Amino acid sequence: MQLRRQPLSAPRPGDTRPAAQRLAVPLLLLLALQGAAASGEPEDSGWLQDAEPSSRLLSQAARAALHFFNFRAASPSALQVLASVLDGRAWVNQKKEYKFDLVFTTEFYRAEEGEKRLGTCSAQVFFRNDKPRPAVNVTCTQLIKKERRQEEDYQLYKLMKQLKSPLNAVRIPDSHGYIAPSLRPIWNLAFLGSSYVMWQKTTPFLHYFMSQISSVKQWKTNDDAIDFDYTVLLHEFSTQEIIPCRIHLVWYPGKPLKVKYHCQERQTPEEGSGTEEGSAVALTELSNF
Amino acid sequence: MQSSPGGGVVRKRSPVSRWTLLVCSFILAAALGQMNFTGDQVLRILAKNEKQLSLLRDLEGLKPQKVDFWRGPARPSLPVDMRVPFSELKDIKAYLESHGLAYNIMIKDIQVLLDEEREAMAKSRRLERSTSSFSYSSYHTLEETLGFAPSLLNCPSEKLLSFQIYTWIDNFVTEHSDIVSKLQIGHSFENRSILVLKFSTGGSRRPAIWIDSGIHSREWITHATGIWIARKIVSEYGKDRIVTDVLNAMDVFLEIVSNPDGFAYTHSMNRLWRKNKSSRPGTFCIGVDLNRNWKSGFGGNGSNNNPCSETYHGPSPQSEPEVAAVVDFIMSHGNVKALISIHSYSQMLMYPYGHSLEPVSNQEELYHLAKDAVQALYEVHGIEYIYGSISTTLYVASGITVDWAYDSGIKYSFSFELRDTGRYGFLLPATQIIPTAQETWMAIRTIMEHTLHHPY
Repeated sequence: MQLRRQPLSAPRPGDTRPAAQRLAVPLLLLLALQGAAASGEPEDSGWLQDAEPSSRLLSQAARAALHFFNFRAASPSALQVLASVLDGRAWVNQKKEYKFDLVFTTEFYRAEEGEKRLGTCSAQVFFRNDKPRPAVNVTCTQLIKKERRQEEDYQLYKLMKQLKSPLNAVRIPDSHGYIAPSLRPIWNLAFLGSSYVMWQKTTPFLHYFMSQISSVKQWKTNDDAIDFDYTVLLHEFSTQEIIPCRIHLVWYPGKPLKVKYHCQERQTPEEGSGTEEGSAVALTELSNF
Repeated sequence: MQSSPGGGVVRKRSPVSRWTLLVCSFILAAALGQMNFTGDQVLRILAKNEKQLSLLRDLEGLKPQKVDFWRGPARPSLPVDMRVPFSELKDIKAYLESHGLAYNIMIKDIQVLLDEEREAMAKSRRLERSTSSFSYSSYHTLEETLGFAPSLLNCPSEKLLSFQIYTWIDNFVTEHSDIVSKLQIGHSFENRSILVLKFSTGGSRRPAIWIDSGIHSREWITHATGIWIARKIVSEYGKDRIVTDVLNAMDVFLEIVSNPDGFAYTHSMNRLWRKNKSSRPGTFCIGVDLNRNWKSGFGGNGSNNNPCSETYHGPSPQSEPEVAAVVDFIMSHGNVKALISIHSYSQMLMYPYGHSLEPVSNQEELYHLAKDAVQALYEVHGIEYIYGSISTTLYVASGITVDWAYDSGIKYSFSFELRDTGRYGFLLPATQIIPTAQETWMAIRTIMEHTLHHPY
């Protein structure tokens, strides 16, 4: 049985690729100036196309797009994760800003073992130096019909309304990777909130995964919405750091997600105030999407 | 009903409060005895003088017994702890109050504690005397008490009670002593033994294959995979042609817990701890990234000179005892032909270099071997791995194991990143242990076969 495909990352022998951190602009970029012009980009934007973008870079950009997609969809029963990048183009300018054009496949986050349904997304992702978060334009094929998604969200919502506070759980999952079935909806909702944070924080050099809910401060369902205040541990891959983020979200099925967050960057004696204190603590509300 | 906390499993005293010891023993005995303690409380009384002390001794002498002393009346100013059954609570408290004996409630309901402990027991496996009943589909601690998870009271399991992985190692070596032996190659910073399993059918300093797992302690799937592979090797010898051929000509060395201090810490305090536990005077933070401490490209990009960083490379190459032990062993052995270092997560199989984008001189051969190994892995459960050099596939990282190995003349140096690709990450569900081990084994077997048939 042949491998279905070797994902884009497979280097051919002798290949060298620019490491994302290096920001090296290989000679190939200069040769690809024609390519950039042909792709229809305005010529004064100074964008140089990277002829051989590393799959790592493309995957990071695709994940950023998916984090935004998940946040915008605000649907804990329809969360999607990256399967593989089918096609990707990357551009970088003199200011070392990055732009991506991507086509990638996704699968359901909550897929049981064996349930493999792939969706396809196309996205443009723009990492600007002056903006804290990447600008994302993304459309995905529907993995499930809108009515079914709404129904499942509502079922999740009803399950969550029944959970009593204080939630009888400390860390989710536990050390053995186990999530009790009754706590699954909480995990999904937490992932939804974390998607917002991970979208905000992703750069061409930093990308995140959600490791664990380390504590639940508050779980309220007074008025109809679910009010969830928790701390999540994000794993940043290139530095291998664990970043605790306090997240407060308010969710009601069908409504945009409201999220506030505060992450605790690693305190070190040498880095002065290398923390995210005070930044990005705005209550976010999307009125249209 | 035992009048004094029993247990009998306590082997060594430790610098731990005796009270915790008593509680742990009680919980153990009670849980095993399946008794019911709903509503029972443990009270702590401070007797102010001899008179109050004798009042407590009167309680002790009551027949039938109404209280169970965990810490009996000894001297004034020493706390007295006693367990009071629910049915006696009212009377006993009235007795104490009427005599002016001040007390605290140490445990409000013993049964609640026991239930929690029992639940933890139900989730893990009981340790028995044979490795065939050792659960290969659960995560285990370094040292643990008969399958208990540490209770709320933090029973210091690693000091008090039986071992798990280390016990398994001893049992395993005993059961397969014709092929397997245990070597201690050094001690960790906190003085734990660093153990290596040697698989050998004889000979003297045969060409060898080295496998290590657990160098980053939070990557639990790697230790679990290492244990499974150990068992697989002995069970396939004599049955599988490749394993038999390999072991008839070569030795295999397997270091399952390469970072024992870190591993113990992931159980006791911080599940996501990565580094070892070394500390130096004047340094604010603890731990060195053991996979940045090797003498190849040390201190370069992809490692950090900040001790608080997760990729802190340490003050100098091989400064860490866990790394030095392996270096000393491999160098003095002198005949290691392949080195496989197992990590998680990302689903990748990689070869050097990590510290440089320059391809190694054997890049072409390593590329094709990786391709074959990944194909063999894929055929087990359809899991896709990507492959290539570390710097181009994962990220630039300096001072890593496989770079050192390659530069030391070990041509077939590979690094695995096991499941998954981020959905669960380090907290991979235990249900995935066996499938992961099965597929990883097929990749390792491919590398072993190639090493056997390409002597150098």
